[in-house]
Amino acid sequence: MIRLENVWKIYHLGKIKLEVLKNVSLEIKKEDFVVILGPSGSGKSTLLNMVSCLDVPTKGKIYLENKDISSLTEDELAEVRGKKIGFVFQQFNLLPHLTAIENVVLPTVFREVDHEEGVKRAQKHLDSVGLSQRFNHKPAELSGGEKQRVAISRALVNNPEIIVADEPTGNVDSKTGRHIMNILKKLNQEEKRTIIVVTHDSELQEFANKVIKIKDGEIDEK
Amino acid sequence: MKNEYFKIALRNLKSRSLRSWLTIIGIVIGIFLVVSLLSLSEGLKESVMRELRMMGGDLIMVFPGKMSDMMTTMIGGVELDNRDIEAIKRAPGVDFVLEMPWMGVSVRHFQKTEIALIYGISFSDGLPILNENMGWDVVSGELPRPGRREVLVGNLIPKDLFPEMVAGDRISIKGREFVVAGVLRSLGNRQDDLNIALDLNDFREVTGKREGSPMAIVKIKPDHDSAIVMEDIERELEASAIRRRGEDKAFTVMSSETVTDMVENIMGVIQLAVFAFASIAIIVGGIGIMNTMYTSVKERTKEIGILKAVGAKRKHITTIFLYEAGIIGFIGGLGGVVLGLILAFSIQIIMAGSGTMFYLEAHVSPFLIIFGLAFSVLVGCFSGFFPARQAAKLEPVDALRYE
Repeated sequence: MIRLENVWKIYHLGKIKLEVLKNVSLEIKKEDFVVILGPSGSGKSTLLNMVSCLDVPTKGKIYLENKDISSLTEDELAEVRGKKIGFVFQQFNLLPHLTAIENVVLPTVFREVDHEEGVKRAQKHLDSVGLSQRFNHKPAELSGGEKQRVAISRALVNNPEIIVADEPTGNVDSKTGRHIMNILKKLNQEEKRTIIVVTHDSELQEFANKVIKIKDGEIDEK
Repeated sequence: MKNEYFKIALRNLKSRSLRSWLTIIGIVIGIFLVVSLLSLSEGLKESVMRELRMMGGDLIMVFPGKMSDMMTTMIGGVELDNRDIEAIKRAPGVDFVLEMPWMGVSVRHFQKTEIALIYGISFSDGLPILNENMGWDVVSGELPRPGRREVLVGNLIPKDLFPEMVAGDRISIKGREFVVAGVLRSLGNRQDDLNIALDLNDFREVTGKREGSPMAIVKIKPDHDSAIVMEDIERELEASAIRRRGEDKAFTVMSSETVTDMVENIMGVIQLAVFAFASIAIIVGGIGIMNTMYTSVKERTKEIGILKAVGAKRKHITTIFLYEAGIIGFIGGLGGVVLGLILAFSIQIIMAGSGTMFYLEAHVSPFLIIFGLAFSVLVGCFSGFFPARQAAKLEPVDALRYE
């Protein structure tokens, strides 16, 4: 489903050349539950950005369903993200002045989905994560776990095949973290979605059927 | 689908309402200035033009002195004398020369005595011309006739000077008895509406002034071009002045057309100046919008990153930001138009009540309102364009990382 071939990401900070990803190649198959594991500064978030079409590599190729996306324009990448990828962030990244349901509807707006249809879908997803009573609450009025469930609903609203989660348990307590991971596991097993989780927490390995360890910008093959 | 972006934009503005309102006020002030000043100056122009239109096209006015120092001539009491009048009559194409001398005198009506401006006009020849060409008519009573010691009082005399005066009343002017034949309709400004017209012969007798008039109105014969007649009058006046004193006496000869042109020119310049200054205010308002929007892009960098992550393209981001700037512009324009109209009409009411020279009216054209709104939205969108573009160009990864 997603294939990286000899991907480099190099940042130039003044005269310093920073090689964040060094010649990374990997493949993620459809319906995989992948955990990308690495310490902070290992390049795992940059790797996730590549995998999730948020960023393009300096060198190398990225294929999404055998289509080369490393040369797409930003708008074309936005199109791919909107259609195929749902995001869950460590910081939740909900818009603070929108209610829970409005946050969930938002991605449908950019897909030019009819508003009523968007609201219907948003309700369904919020219902399924147990937030039926929280539709009209703003993020500030929700707990960390509730926010993350809103974020998961938002990630699902355009029915993407891939869910990308960046430290989804990073800002919640361990019990809520497990709950979040179980929701993701369910999405993987019951709805056959591809899940990619980036974390530094090695305990999350148990949810994965594939673990990619990354260290200093390189895949750690052990 | 577009109105979803509109809703998002509106929500964004509400989420920082104080700053939005302050920015809106910046636009309100500019549009307010444009609308109030332009509608008042347009109203002023309209009322002056209305007065001028009352004057027929084939009337010519002659004043002593140059146009450039008309005030000196007026206040200094320089007049056209009988020989000047004769000179005007000599010009080909002149049908009739109407003298109109005036003087301030004391006038008594029953127990009340006031100073009023009286003017002499030939009731036999002059009044019919004014009646025909300038629309002079009575609102009560009838037009006075010569030889009956009748007067015609201005429209405001029975209202302001001698309350309850009616046609048929007797008044005493410098000790001589006259009958009020009628009340003239409003001539368009307060000064003229407080005058009393006497037959020219009566005026000469009452004031003891045997000759002279500060101005003359000339009616030209049909089939004569007023421009040519004006030149002829000027030539005759100059010739006569040189013969008599061997010196140059200046005169001003103008037709209603030249006055109309002059007024239009002056008002055009005034309106242009008003518009220029108000535009500066609007531009400052626009800079305010730009400032707010740039700040907003900076503050909302992360939010823009989120929008992009969930699939927003550049055009979506641009649309949201342009809507925000446009809404600020529109609300500012709306506020400015409303406040401008309120001020213009308040001034109209105050001016009408205070009794100043002109009856100043606020003239509001729908064009001005539409222009005010369109201009403010345009300024908003223009000011929002660069911030919107900056927002749209943000890289999603960088924007998401921004704290």
